Amino acid sequence: MKFGKRLKQQIEQSLPDWRDKFLTYKELKKLVRLISSAPKADKEFMYCLNNEIEKFNAFFMEQEEDFIIRHKELQQRIQRVTDTRGPNGTKPSETEYKEEMAKIRKDIVNFHGEMVLLINYSNINYTGLAKILKKYDKRTGGVLRLPFIQKVLEQPFFTTDLISKLVKECETTIDSVFPASQEQGILPAERQAITVPGEGIFRNTVAALLTMQEIRRGSSTYSHFSLPPLNLPEPDIFQSLQLLSPIPIP
Amino acid sequence: MNAKPSLSIQRSGARQLSNFGVSGTMPSSFPVLPTPSGERYPILPDSHQVSMERELMQHSPAVISPMSSNSGVVGHLFSSSSGFSTDLHFSSVLQQEDHPRKSHLISQSTNSGTSLILPDAVDSEVPRSTASSHYNKEENNSWCTDTLPDCLDYPRSTSIQNNQLERSNYGGIAIPSEDLTKHNDWQEWADQLITDNGALTTDLNDLLADASIAIPEPKVHHHMSNLSTNFSVQHPNNQLPATPGETCTAVAQSSSANCAQTKQRMRWTPELHEAFVEAVNKLGGSERATPKGVLKLMKAEGLTIYHVKSHLQKYRTARYKPETTEESSEKKLTSIEDLSSLDMKTGIEITEALRMQMEVQKQLHEQLEIQRNLQLRIEEQGRYLQMMFEKQCKSGMDLLKGTSSATENPLKEFTDAVGNAPSKDDSGVPVDNCETGGKSAGENSQDVGEKHKAHETEVAGSCEANVAGSSNLPASKRAKVHS
Repeated sequence: MKFGKRLKQQIEQSLPDWRDKFLTYKELKKLVRLISSAPKADKEFMYCLNNEIEKFNAFFMEQEEDFIIRHKELQQRIQRVTDTRGPNGTKPSETEYKEEMAKIRKDIVNFHGEMVLLINYSNINYTGLAKILKKYDKRTGGVLRLPFIQKVLEQPFFTTDLISKLVKECETTIDSVFPASQEQGILPAERQAITVPGEGIFRNTVAALLTMQEIRRGSSTYSHFSLPPLNLPEPDIFQSLQLLSPIPIP
Repeated sequence: MNAKPSLSIQRSGARQLSNFGVSGTMPSSFPVLPTPSGERYPILPDSHQVSMERELMQHSPAVISPMSSNSGVVGHLFSSSSGFSTDLHFSSVLQQEDHPRKSHLISQSTNSGTSLILPDAVDSEVPRSTASSHYNKEENNSWCTDTLPDCLDYPRSTSIQNNQLERSNYGGIAIPSEDLTKHNDWQEWADQLITDNGALTTDLNDLLADASIAIPEPKVHHHMSNLSTNFSVQHPNNQLPATPGETCTAVAQSSSANCAQTKQRMRWTPELHEAFVEAVNKLGGSERATPKGVLKLMKAEGLTIYHVKSHLQKYRTARYKPETTEESSEKKLTSIEDLSSLDMKTGIEITEALRMQMEVQKQLHEQLEIQRNLQLRIEEQGRYLQMMFEKQCKSGMDLLKGTSSATENPLKEFTDAVGNAPSKDDSGVPVDNCETGGKSAGENSQDVGEKHKAHETEVAGSCEANVAGSSNLPASKRAKVHS
C-alpha cells in the first residue's frame, strides 16, 4: 500500500506528459488479489505485465531519442554562442551574450533534470514491477519472480546506461558554462529562499528524491531483497525544500 | 448473452479475415484476457464485443481490397502458420506439466507466433519493438488496449498490419519453399516501387521482403527455445558505433537486409545520430533533406525509412524551435523565477538557483545509480542462489529419499553457511529441500531484514527455492520446508 501511495504522489508531481506512462501498480495489485478466485486472472496478469513493459520501453526509447537529439543541439548551440564571443573581434554585445548564456544555462540545467527524471521513471517502474512480482509469487506460491525480473533487467527501459552517460556529459558541459562559484557556501536559509521548487522539473526532482527516501525507509516485508535505507548527504535540505513546495509530500 | 454466440460465429469468419488484417479484436483500456492457445479472441464484456463485431464488419471489406493482390501470399502464410501453431501448442502443452509458470510465457508466445493481424492502435510513428513472436503478441494486444477509437483508426492500422504479418514471420513461421520463388520476383518488383509516401507499396514490399525470408525448420526450433525467454532482448546498443539498435531475433538476423524493412522500434545512439546529422548536412540541411536520401547516405543496417522519417521530424522540431522545445515542457510548468516570491531578477541569483537545482538533480542521479546497482546485485545473487539450489536439488534428491532425520542437520549447515558466507562463495553444502513451488520461508522472515547491509549480505531468501535463508529462521518455518 505504501509503495502505491508513493508512486501515485510521484506521478502527480511528474511532468504532465509522463503521467500516464507509469506502472499501473494498483490495477496489477487488484489482479494479483483476484488470482486465487478467478481462473483467468493469472493470464490476464501476465498479459498486463507484458503490456506495461512494452509501454515503458516505447516511452523510454522515444524520450531517449529526443534526448540524444537535444543533447547534440545544445552542444552546438553552446558552441555557436561561445564562438561568436571569440577573440576574433566580431562580438555581439555583452548583454546579448549574457542573455544567451543565461538562457543556455537554464536550458541545459532543465535538460539535465529531464534526463535524470527519465532514469527515475525507469527505476520507479522497475521497483514497482519487482514488488508486484513478489506479491504474485507470494499469492500463488509461484516461481515467476526471478526469471521474469531477469528479463526485465535486460529491457531497454531499464538499461539506462546511455542516458546516464548523457547526464554526465551534461554535467561537464554545465561546469564549463557556469561561471566559477564565488560563494563558498550558501547558508541553508538563503538556499531555501532562492530555490522555491515550483512545478516543473526541479520540483519533480525533489519529489523523486524524497519519494525514494520514503520507499526505502523499510516496510513490513523487509527482506534480503529489500534495498537499504537511502543515504542522502544532506537530507535536511530536501526536507526543507519539501516544506516550501505548495503540495506537501507527507 | 447474445453477443457471445455471434462473436464466435464471427470468430471463425474473422479468423480468415484476421489474416487480412481486420482490426478491432481487442479494444479499449479494459484489460484483455488472452485466451488459451486454441482461441485467439478474448472474452470481453458485451458492449465491447458488439462494437468489435461492428468494427470487423466495417473494416473487413475495405481491408480485403488492398490485400487482394496479396491474398495468395497471405493465404500461404496463414496456412503455414497455423501448422506451426499447432506444433508450438503441443510442445507448450508438454512443457506445461513441468513448469506451470513458464508455460504461460510459452503458450502466450505460441499465440503471438501465429496471431497474425491485430491493429496497431497506437501512433504509427512509433515503430514497434522486437520481432520475437512472444513480444509480438504482447505488442499487438497492447496496441489494442488503447482506447477504442484508436482501433477504428483504420488507415494506419492497415499499414501496420502488414508489418505485423511480416513480423509474425519472424516468429518463426516456416514458409513452404514453393512460395519463395514467387516472393522473390515480387520483391524485385516491389523494390522499384519504394517511395517516401507510398506507404502501401512499402508495406507490400515489407510484406514480401519478409515473406521471402527462408526460415528453415532448425531455426524455427531455435527460435522456439528462445520463446521461453519472454521478451526478446533489445540490444543495449550503446557500444556499437553507428549500428542501429535493431531488434531482430536470432532468426531474423540471418536476413538483415530484409530486416531493414520492418517497423521495429529503433534504439538510437549518439553515434547513429551523428551519422544521421552528417547525412542531413550533406543533403543541404534538415529542411531540404528527405528521409529516403538520408537513409541511403547513412547506409546503416537495420534502419528503415520510417525510423529516419520520425527521427528527422524530431530533429527538425528540435532545431527550429530550440527555445520552445525546452520551454514547452515548462510552459504549463512555472519556471523557478516566476514562482519565487522574491525578486530574482539579478543574474547571480538566477545562477545560484540553477546551481541549486543542479545539485539536487545530481543527487538524484547519484542515488538512482546506486539504487540501480543494488537492484542488479540483488537479482544477481538471487539468480546465483537459484542456480546453486538447482544443482543441489539434483544431487540432493537421494538424500531426501534417505533418512528424514538426517535432513535437519544438512539444512542447518546450509543456512549457516549461507548466512555467514559472503555472497560469492560457494558453500558447497548439500541441500535436500527442493520444493520449487513452495513458498519462500526466507521472505517471510521479517526480522531478518532488520539487520541491514543488504547489499553486502547474502541474498538468501530466494522465493523459488525453498531456502531457509538465515540462522534466525524459526523452527516452525523450517519444518514447513520439509513438509
